[in-house]
Amino acid sequence: MSCHAKNTQVPLFKYLGMCVAVLSCSMCLTLTRHAKADTDYAEQKAAAEKSFKEDVAPFIKRYCLDCHQNRRPTEAGVNFSPALPKPQDAAFHEQWKKAIARVRAHDMPPDYADRLPKDEDREAFLKGVAQIKYLSPQDPGIFIIRRLTKVEYGNTLRDLFGVTSDVAADLPDEVSGAGYLNSLSPLQIEQYLAISEKVLDEVFPNGSLPPTERQLALFGRKLSKSSELSKTDVQQIAHSLAKKAFRRPPTSEEVETLTQVFELGRENNLSHPEALRLMVKAVLVSPQFLFITPASDGEPREKIVPLDDYQLASRLSYLLWASMPDDKLMKLADQVKLRDPEVLKSQVKRLLNDPRSRALFDGFGAQWLGIDRLKNQVFDPEVFPEMTSEMKWAMYDEARLFFESIVHENQSVIRFIDADYTYLNPTLASVYGLNDQVSGPEMQRVQLENPRRGGILGMPGVLAVTSFPNRTSPVKRGVWVLEQVLGDHVPAAPPDVPALESQDQKSVANLNLRERTELHRADPVCANCHRLLDPIGFGLENYDAIGRWRDQDEHGEAIDAAGELPDGRKFSNPTELKAMIASRVDELSRNLVEKLLAYGLCRSLEGYDEIVVDELMQEIADDEYRTQTLITAVVTSYPFTHRRVEEDRSKK
Amino acid sequence: MSHHTLINRRTCLKGLGASLSLPLLDVMGWADTVSGEVKQPPTRLAFMYMPHGVIMDQFWPANPESFLTSPPPALKSLEPVLNKCLMMKGISGVGTGPFSGAPHALELSTWLTATLPNSDKRNEINIAISADQIAANYVGAFTPLPSLELATMPQTWKENQAGLNEAYYSHCSYRSPTQAVPAEINPRNVLNRLFNTKDSSGKNSPLGTPLDRSMLDLVLGGARELRRTLPTPDQQKLDEYLDSVRSVERRIAAIELRQKEAALEKAGHGSKNKKSTDSPPIEIKIPEGDKRSEYMQVMCDLTVLAFQTDTTRISTYIGSTPNGVSYPELGFNDQHHSQTHHRNQPEKVEKVAKITEFNIEQFAYMVKKMDSLQEGDGTLLDHSIMMWGSGLEDGDTHTRANLPFILAGGGNGSLKTGQFLPDIKANQGDLLTTLLTCIGVPIDRPVGIATKQLKEITTVL
Repeated sequence: MSCHAKNTQVPLFKYLGMCVAVLSCSMCLTLTRHAKADTDYAEQKAAAEKSFKEDVAPFIKRYCLDCHQNRRPTEAGVNFSPALPKPQDAAFHEQWKKAIARVRAHDMPPDYADRLPKDEDREAFLKGVAQIKYLSPQDPGIFIIRRLTKVEYGNTLRDLFGVTSDVAADLPDEVSGAGYLNSLSPLQIEQYLAISEKVLDEVFPNGSLPPTERQLALFGRKLSKSSELSKTDVQQIAHSLAKKAFRRPPTSEEVETLTQVFELGRENNLSHPEALRLMVKAVLVSPQFLFITPASDGEPREKIVPLDDYQLASRLSYLLWASMPDDKLMKLADQVKLRDPEVLKSQVKRLLNDPRSRALFDGFGAQWLGIDRLKNQVFDPEVFPEMTSEMKWAMYDEARLFFESIVHENQSVIRFIDADYTYLNPTLASVYGLNDQVSGPEMQRVQLENPRRGGILGMPGVLAVTSFPNRTSPVKRGVWVLEQVLGDHVPAAPPDVPALESQDQKSVANLNLRERTELHRADPVCANCHRLLDPIGFGLENYDAIGRWRDQDEHGEAIDAAGELPDGRKFSNPTELKAMIASRVDELSRNLVEKLLAYGLCRSLEGYDEIVVDELMQEIADDEYRTQTLITAVVTSYPFTHRRVEEDRSKK
Repeated sequence: MSHHTLINRRTCLKGLGASLSLPLLDVMGWADTVSGEVKQPPTRLAFMYMPHGVIMDQFWPANPESFLTSPPPALKSLEPVLNKCLMMKGISGVGTGPFSGAPHALELSTWLTATLPNSDKRNEINIAISADQIAANYVGAFTPLPSLELATMPQTWKENQAGLNEAYYSHCSYRSPTQAVPAEINPRNVLNRLFNTKDSSGKNSPLGTPLDRSMLDLVLGGARELRRTLPTPDQQKLDEYLDSVRSVERRIAAIELRQKEAALEKAGHGSKNKKSTDSPPIEIKIPEGDKRSEYMQVMCDLTVLAFQTDTTRISTYIGSTPNGVSYPELGFNDQHHSQTHHRNQPEKVEKVAKITEFNIEQFAYMVKKMDSLQEGDGTLLDHSIMMWGSGLEDGDTHTRANLPFILAGGGNGSLKTGQFLPDIKANQGDLLTTLLTCIGVPIDRPVGIATKQLKEITTVL
């Protein structure tokens, strides 16, 4: 219910009624702010409607519809016919984003089109499309049930049973992307069974009861080996166990099922501990454990409701810990206190300060930087014999410790770009040429004197994942900076583009990489985008494919790292490039907010979310872009704390 | 990612010992679980994939006459069994439709579905059930495992060409239009799964107790309540999960039945379908190093063993996915994909040809081994249909007019082997549909774009 504490955040007025009962007085103040926000919103909506009608729709009809309309096959699968009457529909959100990127890059309409827009038409179109968000109805999105990821599953077992998380190591890694995480093969189910068997052997050593402490945590009581358990006892134990494992109070049916499993065991001559073991096994293969499921909310009368406290607790703990809520969070949920924004904020701090918050890097940070790919990335051993698995590990850990230091010390996100320290061990120090600064084998914080280093742009792991096996890729690096750092949308390359290797070898033999790439840009099909990408990528050419500094490339040619950003500002070396990127902290933070919010919600952002992000950005900027403020803003945001009730609810 | 997951295959296999001995397997006959009656050995069906197409003039036989006498270079390793192989040129792939920008996401995902992904839901998995899974639905009930899905590398590739879900890059098996089937890449896990061998701690794997079956029953019953409270799309997700649990239940039942039969056989009441001349189960050696050939061969061995013991009758092996694989074993480190865009430069053409040969060699290793195993009145190969192929014809231009396929094995007499058909004029859906007919799957609906069955290649039509 962040919206209320967040003041300017979201015009949420009409849904306030149902929340008020549980809000503390401190929030009344926010109501007036909301009234103002509501008026602003109405104005923005009217303006957006106007500019769509006057600037966007005519542009589409004149320049786009010839190829991209209701006709099969549509060009590149892009069809604007259905988007024109309802531009705010979530289904078209991506399409508009891509349209912005292509039109801005002068990639669309193509140069060979009969009609080409004037620059001012282009500008008006871009401005109009950016306003489409204001046409979206207020919508926090539905609460999507999803399966725990492999990492979450391992961590949850760890927190529930005290086993190590790598008990789940055998599960296949998953591919993200809508829908996939939910697909399961029988093979995986068998692996789940095998894993639960391993866990159970640890929890019930040699078929005897778990240690007292674990019994108390799981069953809510201490059992003795000989004591008979009445049906009520078993039900209470099942309730305690299910509440822990399902991360919410179980329904009476759920308790009944588990009780039946216990009885099944007893009927088959299992001892009490063995029958309890079977009950725990049943919990571990239950969908309520493997999926994050909402508690039954009866018949909500409103279309949009706040998350109940248990859902909120899970959403929060899986975001920051990639694991189940701990006792403290569950207790706050029991007391219906977690939804209080001040409580929620203090819980964010607490969770971030817990070692489990390492998961925020492993799950989110590593994906953001792309450094999660490093482990599977192949390097040509002849060119880069240094890229051993120890080196890859050191690079990964450097990025992790760096990320964690910024979050834990609540530094500004700008430090991601311009920090003057990093973390090195002797292996990695050799890449930096700083062997004398590192003592002992462990990763340690090292102060950096040379401004060439410090921050993610000069970080070896990042530079390595944006390279080819045997050389740098200025194009990949350019895309990485634009997309991952600044949050731009870079259009994908058209199909069948020859890679550099495919250029006629004789004619390019005397050219260096930059000249060859520029030749490639002479082709008008490529030029529009590469004009934006390449200069940034070449600005990082002083770092080789594994991140070592160099003044000459592999052919002995001097590196030319001068270039300019899409906004026209010129730089002459990586340090200047870095300073320019650092000055764009607003884009960097916005990008992080969007990525974190999408990660937390497990869905891609849509029209209304953009308005939410706009509001969050103000608050974050007001606090100098501090990382914990950013994370708190996301956690207390409207879509994070609310959900739309799916109307299509089966009554079978 | 936590520390333990950053290990390469070498570490993973180290310390497992060079050779794992199998548990005492009671290799039984081929029970038709429904009637209990046993006839001839069942027909098995396997698919093995290589991405990025072939060098055509080194792959296609010059003409039907020379197919057996002087086969093209790519087929050298198959020479001893060519008379049990069948090739046909002129099988076209699915048209790329709106996805011309995504040749590599399409080549694998359309390979066994013969269907384009749904373009309106391209970010999700939304395609069609694949031929191997159609087969598994039909014959899978007779064996402990309905089907086996293997791959050489992790199926995690973050790239979505033309907005397609990234899983399309690395999956060829689809259990339903919305469910990609993940493949297993760790040979040890496969072995465990096939034969319930003891795990590293020496314990039996957890499957197989009747009590577990009853417990799963209760869990499934309880989930019905949860299902009722969910909106429809969530119900679907839950159903997919519950279906998987149900199939595990069935598997436990199948294993129980096998055990009963084994006991009967030992007591002298066994079925008479196992011949004393039948070969004993092959031995599995899990390699210590990370040589690709050894790794692929153990996956092939596992397929052979699974077929030989009738643990499953359907198998898919993604020999490599269309993303950055290199073959240092062949003396160069270039990635497969970069070399396939060869623009006819001889050194690249040669590398692609070598990679293709290498992949066919692994396939040949498998089918030759199958041909060395006696089963009933013939060899295991005689009772199987093994298909090798790629989802592109030419990796340089991404053409799909003449998809490369090699069929090996007689399929219990259903395939007309020992010939090359130079101009068959059909599509990959037609081929897949025909293969399903060969193994006895009644076809109520053709696979993907199929319009007909190929009388030219089969005796059963």
